Parts: sequence; C-alpha cells; structure tokens
Amino acid sequence: MMTFLNYLLSGISLGSIYAIIALGYTMVYGIAKMLNFAHGDVIMVGAYICFFAVSRYSLPPLLGVIAAMAVCTVLGVIVERLAYKPLRSAPSLAVLITAIGVSYFLQNGAQLLWTPNPKVFSSVVGTNRLALFGGQLTVSYVTLVTIASCVVIMVALTWFTGKTKTGKAMRACSEDKGAAQLMGINVNSTISVTFAIGSGLAAIAGVLLCSAYPTLVPTTGAMPGIKAFTAAVFGGIGSIPGAMLGGILLGVIEIFSKAYISTQLSDAVVFAVLIIVLLVKPAGLLGKQVREKV
Amino acid sequence: MMLTVENIDVFYGAIHAIKGISFDVNEGEIVALIGANGAGKSTTLKTISGIMHPRNGKITFLGEDITHTDGYKLPAKGLAQVPEGRRIFLQMTVMENLEMGAYIQKKVPPEDFDNVFAHFPRLKERRSQIAGTLSGGEQQMLAMGRALMSHPKLLMLDEPSMGLAPILVEEIFNIIREFHAAGTTILLVEQNAEMALQVADRAYVLESGTIALSGTGKELAESDEIKKAYLGG
Repeated sequence: MMTFLNYLLSGISLGSIYAIIALGYTMVYGIAKMLNFAHGDVIMVGAYICFFAVSRYSLPPLLGVIAAMAVCTVLGVIVERLAYKPLRSAPSLAVLITAIGVSYFLQNGAQLLWTPNPKVFSSVVGTNRLALFGGQLTVSYVTLVTIASCVVIMVALTWFTGKTKTGKAMRACSEDKGAAQLMGINVNSTISVTFAIGSGLAAIAGVLLCSAYPTLVPTTGAMPGIKAFTAAVFGGIGSIPGAMLGGILLGVIEIFSKAYISTQLSDAVVFAVLIIVLLVKPAGLLGKQVREKV
Repeated sequence: MMLTVENIDVFYGAIHAIKGISFDVNEGEIVALIGANGAGKSTTLKTISGIMHPRNGKITFLGEDITHTDGYKLPAKGLAQVPEGRRIFLQMTVMENLEMGAYIQKKVPPEDFDNVFAHFPRLKERRSQIAGTLSGGEQQMLAMGRALMSHPKLLMLDEPSMGLAPILVEEIFNIIREFHAAGTTILLVEQNAEMALQVADRAYVLESGTIALSGTGKELAESDEIKKAYLGG
C-alpha cells in the first residue's frame, strides 16, 4: 500500500512538471495556433540559468529561480518576435519547421556556451525527505514543492484568464483575432504576453525537473518537452485545465507503468493510452469542439 | 465631414477588388452601401477599419488620416464595426463579450451595460450564458451591443440582417434607428437594399468595385435601375 502511495506521489509530481510545461504549449497553441517545439528547450535554458546563479554565483535558490524566469521570459518574447512573428500569415508547416529550427538553435547554442558535459544540478529545495506514517512513507521536499507549485500556477492562471482584462483579451484573441482587433485589442502584444507567461512557466518547470532529476545537459528539455506536448494533446490542446489534467495523468501513467509493467515499455504505454484517448475523444479529454451558428 | 474615402484601390493579391472609389459620411447621417455579392461592400468596410489597407488613396476620419493606421487603434478614435457574420466570442459569456467591446476603456461604468440591455432586453436575461448558445438573432444583437460598448462616433454595420427571419430583420433595423436617434453616425452595408434604403439618408450602389450610383435613400428607392436590379421590381 505504501509503495503504491509512493509511486502515486512521484507520478503526480512528475505529472505536475509535465503539466506546467504543457501549459506553455497549450496557451501558445490557443492564441497563435502554432506548436512551439522550442518550448522544451526553454526549460533547459531556465535550468542552466538557475544552475549558474546558485552554483557559480552562490545566489539563494529563490533568486536563482527568479533569474531563470526573467531570462526565459525575455528569451520567449525575443524568439516570438524574431522567428515567429514574421511568419504570422505563412502556412502552418513553415512555422512548425521554424520552431524545430529554433529548438536546435537553442540546444546547440547551449552546447557552445555551456559545453555538452553534464552539470550536476543541486536541488533548489534541498534533498531532505519528509517521513509520514511513522517512517513507512517518505516523501522528498522536491515532490511536495513540485505539486504545490503546480496547484498555485493552476489557480493563478485560472484567475488570470477568467478575471483579468489581459486574460480575457487573450481568450478573445485565441477565439477570433480579427474580431479582437475590432475591439481595440493589440493582437501582437497579446501574443507576446502569452509567450512571456509560457516561457516564465517553462523556467519554473526546468528548475523543478532538474531538482528531481539532477543531470543537466543541453538536451535535457527535449524529452520532457515532447511528453508535455503529448500531455497537452491528451488533455485537449488549447485548454488550460486540459493541459493540467493531461500532464498529471501522463506522469502517473508513466510512473505506474515503470513500476508495474516495464521500465523500457513505459513510454510505449504512455503513447498507447494517448492513441486510445484520441480515438475515443479526438479533441482530447477536455478539448472543445464548438460548432459555429450561421 | 466625419469620414472621407478618396480614390482607394484595394487588392486581394492580384485581384483588384476596389477600383478607386470615393464617398463620404457626414456627422449624424445613416449612409448605406448596397450592391450584389462580391461588389466590394465588405472589403470597403474592412479597409476603413484597418483590417486591410488600400494600395492607393486616402481615408480620413474626424480630420485624421487613418489610411495606414493599425486596426486596433481605431476603436479608441471612435470607430466601431459590427463585422459580417457577427464574429462574437462564442466561448465567452454575454457579459464578457460586452466587456471586450469596452476594452479600450480603463474602467467600464455599469450604466454602459444598462444602456445595452435597454436596447436588447433579451441579452440581460442571458448575460451569464455562453454566447455560442444564443440564437442567430440574439448573436446579432450581442454583436451590436458589443460595438455600442465602445461609445462609437461612427458605427459600421456589415450585413446585420444576413440570415435572420424577416421579423428579426425588422427589429434589427428599428434598433439601428434607435442608435441613430441617440446620436451615432452609421455606415451600413446591406444586401437587403429595400430595408437599407428605407433607413438611409444617403446611399451608394457598388458594382464590381466601383460606385455605380449614389443619391438619397428615397431617390434610389424610386429609381428604375435600382428597382430592376435590387428590389425585384
């Protein structure tokens, strides 16, 4: 029973990281209708910034996280301006290929700047473990902080998109850019804000990911990026609660299949579940298919 | 002069959609642009509201050259458009749609919502409903209410009667008269020439990207050419 709970907690924790990354994918897709495949590499940049801030310049971990968020936010906005904005009216395939290009650019840039040698990331929340039930169940603080961050981010984003003016403008743009412009909404700056938020969240995800799995290399972001993209599709791309649900389910399924089925087959199980879900619900778990009235 | 359009040429790629048309709208008028499908009526409105830009010519709104102004800056200057096909935000509530209409205002006074609900009592009943669940007529009303929220000096309506039952068309045109009586200048694009000429002070007839005729609503409604082509007489 305790082992089961332990697996469940690690699953939710890994899933929380996927969920935070998936939010960036889903928000950008919702508004810009593009798959930003460079999103995973922003995670890696965030982790490196935090690593250098904490390990080389001995800043307190919280400042390291803030520095990572600041750098990633700026990076996200710059990438959007330079690489994606000029392609706003280009075919979506061209944008997709550009995103893959940006992904390689970031990975190779990181190799050049920081060498391909693995860095050992020291967890920002320490390696202590919390003992529950008289020591039968131990949970690392990283796990708890990861799950808590995910909950806080979810609540904050729901409030932001539901109640604030900028958040509502983002929803309006993601539904109909032309009509949003007629309301006086600056669509370009709204898209920039979305990239900024998504990239800032990616930085948090990077720090949490490397706190749990401390080996940091320039390709660290690639696989979690793909998994989080899967999570976003799983939950219904474009939907914020969908990204959360998809991320957490994906993490739990992955850990359970590693524990009970086979470590090698865990990714296959994850994608098999994705295929089954998409066969039954093509728009994802919480994806909406809205029919327009004429 | 509230709006002046001088000799604009608009292209879709190589297609010359608007061929040097000129017209104007005076303060307090209702001006109609009528014409068949593909005559260039909607393109003209899109060009005024900055969704498209002309290759040549000039558009002046309240003395300011807006020919190449970014579309999103125009609502703050007093220009609002109810686009063709309504284009309300289907996944947002009725209230949120109205809030988006007031986006250019820092703080929205509650009277503004009351004002819209006075014109459209049905929207008040459905204020927290998701807009996608409204009927076609209600969606048109929401699109018009949303445009009203920005306190436009010039309201442009693109095919407000399209796809509506005759009784609703009547209602929509009554509301256009109400807006006008409240001091809003109106530029109306319509295929329903009969209704449009009834409310319009002046009208322009567009034919394949040029202005074929112009005159007061009454003159045009009585002209033989118009009767033959658009009024089924």
